[in-house]
Amino acid sequence: MSKMVNFGIDLGTTNSLIAKFERGVVEVFKNPNGFKETLPSIVGYRNDAILVGEKARTYAERDPKSVISRFKRKMGTTETMKIASLNASKTPIELSAEVLKELKNFIHSGEKPEAVVITIPASFDTIQSNATKEAGELAGFKSVVLLQEPIAASLAYANKEKNIDLRNSQWIVYDFGGGTFDVALVKIVEGELTVIDHEGDNYLGGTDFDAKIVEELIAPALLKLGTFDDLVNQMKSESGKYNRLWTMLLHKAEEAKIELSNKPSAEIDLGLIRDLEDDTGKSIDSMITITRSEFESIIKEQIDATAEMMKKILTRNSLQASDVEFILMVGGSTFIPYVRKRIEELMNISVNTSIDPTNAIAIGAAYFAGTKEIKGDKNQEQTRSNQASLKAKFSYNRNSQEPAEVFQGRFEGDLKDLFYRITRDDGAYDSGLKKLSSRIVEDLPLREGEFNSFTFRVLDSKNNEIDVGGNSIQITQGKYSVAGQLLPWDLCLVKDDLGKKDTILELLFSKNSVIPTKTKKTVTVGKTIVKGSEDGIISIMVVEGPSENHSSTNKPIGILSVGGKQISKDLLKGTDIDLTFELSESRDLSVSAYVNGTGQEFSQVFEPKPRAVPVKMLATEILSLEAKLQSEQKEADENGNRDASEKLDKLITKVQNLIVAAGTLSDDDVTDDRFKIEDQKRKIAQEMYSATSSKRLDIAKSSYQATKREVAELVNKNGNDREKHAISAVFAREQVFLNSTNPERIQSEVDELESIRFEILARDPEFLTGMFMHLVEKRTAMNDQVQAKQLIDNGRRLIDSESWDDLRMVNGRLWSLMPSAEQNSEEMRFFTGII
Amino acid sequence: MKYAQGIQVNVPKYIFVFANNLFEIEKKIALNGDPGNFLRNITKMKEALEENGVTYENPEGEPFNETRTDLDASISGTGTENLYVVDVIKPIIRAGASGISTVIQKGIVIVESKNKGESHE
Repeated sequence: MSKMVNFGIDLGTTNSLIAKFERGVVEVFKNPNGFKETLPSIVGYRNDAILVGEKARTYAERDPKSVISRFKRKMGTTETMKIASLNASKTPIELSAEVLKELKNFIHSGEKPEAVVITIPASFDTIQSNATKEAGELAGFKSVVLLQEPIAASLAYANKEKNIDLRNSQWIVYDFGGGTFDVALVKIVEGELTVIDHEGDNYLGGTDFDAKIVEELIAPALLKLGTFDDLVNQMKSESGKYNRLWTMLLHKAEEAKIELSNKPSAEIDLGLIRDLEDDTGKSIDSMITITRSEFESIIKEQIDATAEMMKKILTRNSLQASDVEFILMVGGSTFIPYVRKRIEELMNISVNTSIDPTNAIAIGAAYFAGTKEIKGDKNQEQTRSNQASLKAKFSYNRNSQEPAEVFQGRFEGDLKDLFYRITRDDGAYDSGLKKLSSRIVEDLPLREGEFNSFTFRVLDSKNNEIDVGGNSIQITQGKYSVAGQLLPWDLCLVKDDLGKKDTILELLFSKNSVIPTKTKKTVTVGKTIVKGSEDGIISIMVVEGPSENHSSTNKPIGILSVGGKQISKDLLKGTDIDLTFELSESRDLSVSAYVNGTGQEFSQVFEPKPRAVPVKMLATEILSLEAKLQSEQKEADENGNRDASEKLDKLITKVQNLIVAAGTLSDDDVTDDRFKIEDQKRKIAQEMYSATSSKRLDIAKSSYQATKREVAELVNKNGNDREKHAISAVFAREQVFLNSTNPERIQSEVDELESIRFEILARDPEFLTGMFMHLVEKRTAMNDQVQAKQLIDNGRRLIDSESWDDLRMVNGRLWSLMPSAEQNSEEMRFFTGII
Repeated sequence: MKYAQGIQVNVPKYIFVFANNLFEIEKKIALNGDPGNFLRNITKMKEALEENGVTYENPEGEPFNETRTDLDASISGTGTENLYVVDVIKPIIRAGASGISTVIQKGIVIVESKNKGESHE
């Protein structure tokens, strides 16, 4: 039996914390320097010393270009941060690893945890999640389990408020941290927490308020005090004249923001900034006063946007404000009084501030860690169980709301003359010595609201203990656990759509499915791949994003390629490939493909590539998106589709704002604006796709109606019982898929009808004769003329004798004599090679 | 010093005396009434013990079987099925922080079968 993870880390944009679960109690570790629980997520490089936290923050005053903060928002991108003192760059993963390493120093007990739970925003995509895991591994943790922050916050809350009956209640977690914003609808069912739905913005947080204070309040004040040309851009650009000032003012703005939570106004002392001079060389030394109402007016828009996200969740789940118990506030930005007030006003749901917004997530992470076994230690377990003459497997709930919990054990090996005994470590329970059998069941009594630890021992007739590879049973009573984490986005397989010469998405895992999970799909090879050939490749490609969208608007997660070089014999068109997709709790996606034709199996764990967003490319992409939107709108206008046209019009305004925003970015912009813009661009593209889906929907519907008429007539005339049954099954579903807003879904039903049509036609003498005649016309092009002549002569006789089944075979053989270019004309359209 | 696996608890002997006597006073009050409102003082003293990690429990009325090792039980009567605690001579004393505690004194109790009548037949 394995050990529990026990350690939980909140790796935040501005602050990070570490906590440990031990025997039912969570302890948040304190920094040995300064005894604060929080470690600022700031890393500085001074000669060869690495400074993390407060020390790095202090050092930033002297050498801001060697100190990096807010790198969580760049996780999962190819962005690297230049460190002036090193004359080198560091990736967000490396910087996060430094923070994690520093957190290890907080553990006063001197333990060296091998495994850890690290929290991530619920809306982190797979690439960002993987980057977080990688940072954990780089920091020396052998195993890293990821947990979504809203669940962590809810765990902290539910386990704190033991006296409030939370059974079957639901609430919203409003997690407004330094760099990310998440809202999640959480429900407790049977003592287990589940996230029902969530929304979020990975690029909205308290640091944006800091930037807003600098841009909208401090910069205008500076302009009044001195002469500056293009001040804001000169601060934000890496090569700008005032880039150094940007970092320092952000720091001052953050201090002022925190002060404004308690006081009606805050002052920024520019005199404390060294060598602050304007363009003319005039030294600037003054105080800038910021009032609470000024601050509130610049953040109002963002706060209102967060309320909109909550309303979306309520609408999507058909809930009224009164159905939600409260809004649980976590994250540093919820300290801002205006945030609490405004949210309560807009949502008409009371806000709950009963947990400490700073450490709640770390505490929740530790509770979760206390229920997680350390994995990946298989070798050790293997040897242990090899040594043991007895193999044991235990199963029981680690969390219970009951006064007693069932414990089951299975044993393999020689059980003769063996006994077992279970004792509770507090000395209040002893099962007594009992005869061991291959399967045992015991009811273990639990103490209410406590961490119950039992010892399980197997003894021989001389009362000597037998090793069964672990003997501890740990059950926490009365605390809440997690039912499962939810997938934030759909994951889809990209397949070829021959009819439209395009690709189509097939849903693998839908948004909000509970992970870990597993699914199987069978796909068909669309083109023959010759063994050893260079070019023939099939690609199993998975993308993340709404399944009703086009693959190009979704983020690629990974590709498993199988080429001619890898296969042991030719892979024929039409061969089935059985795909198994497995998604771990930490969102690792592994795919294995079993190729039926060759009997080979290929497998791979996807390692999504980080995002690279060069400023120039981004600008071009946005421009082409605008052009596409305009042409879609023109088409919608022509078709009199006013609804779509209006939606598109709004999107055009949005994209034009993006063009302006992208235009102001310098090539070496140091902020994360480009990732924000890229994120928004993707969202607009997705909205465009759903706005125009009605157009595609209409096409799909009319194509269905036409096909339906023709095929129904054909089935009536020539169909057998099976085909009649198949077509009536399609009609029975008709109401459902026609009402769905998914054109692809309707298209797949059209395909189904087409295949019924083809089955009937393949028996139809007229069709078979026509096909034969068509092939005869092509005879001069056939590869083997002698064989072709024989087949054609044979075919003519068969028509005379009306042997239609045999004619179908002759047609097939004639088709195989056609030149491969002709046979494979369809293959020019393949993107992935699977259909 | 008494300890259970993993949790080490160091409780001086006088604490046991305090706890046992407090429990006894509680029992007497329950029996004879509380004209002087002594219960309030007892509650205060119990809270003081609790703050230092010591609690005592009255198992009266709880079911008993041989797997309970927090009780030293004498069976009254002849029935051995469906046993319940009918009288408590000394309470169970526990020590530890919230969420995790250990038995430092077993309760001394008298148990009786609920189906006493039936078992005689």
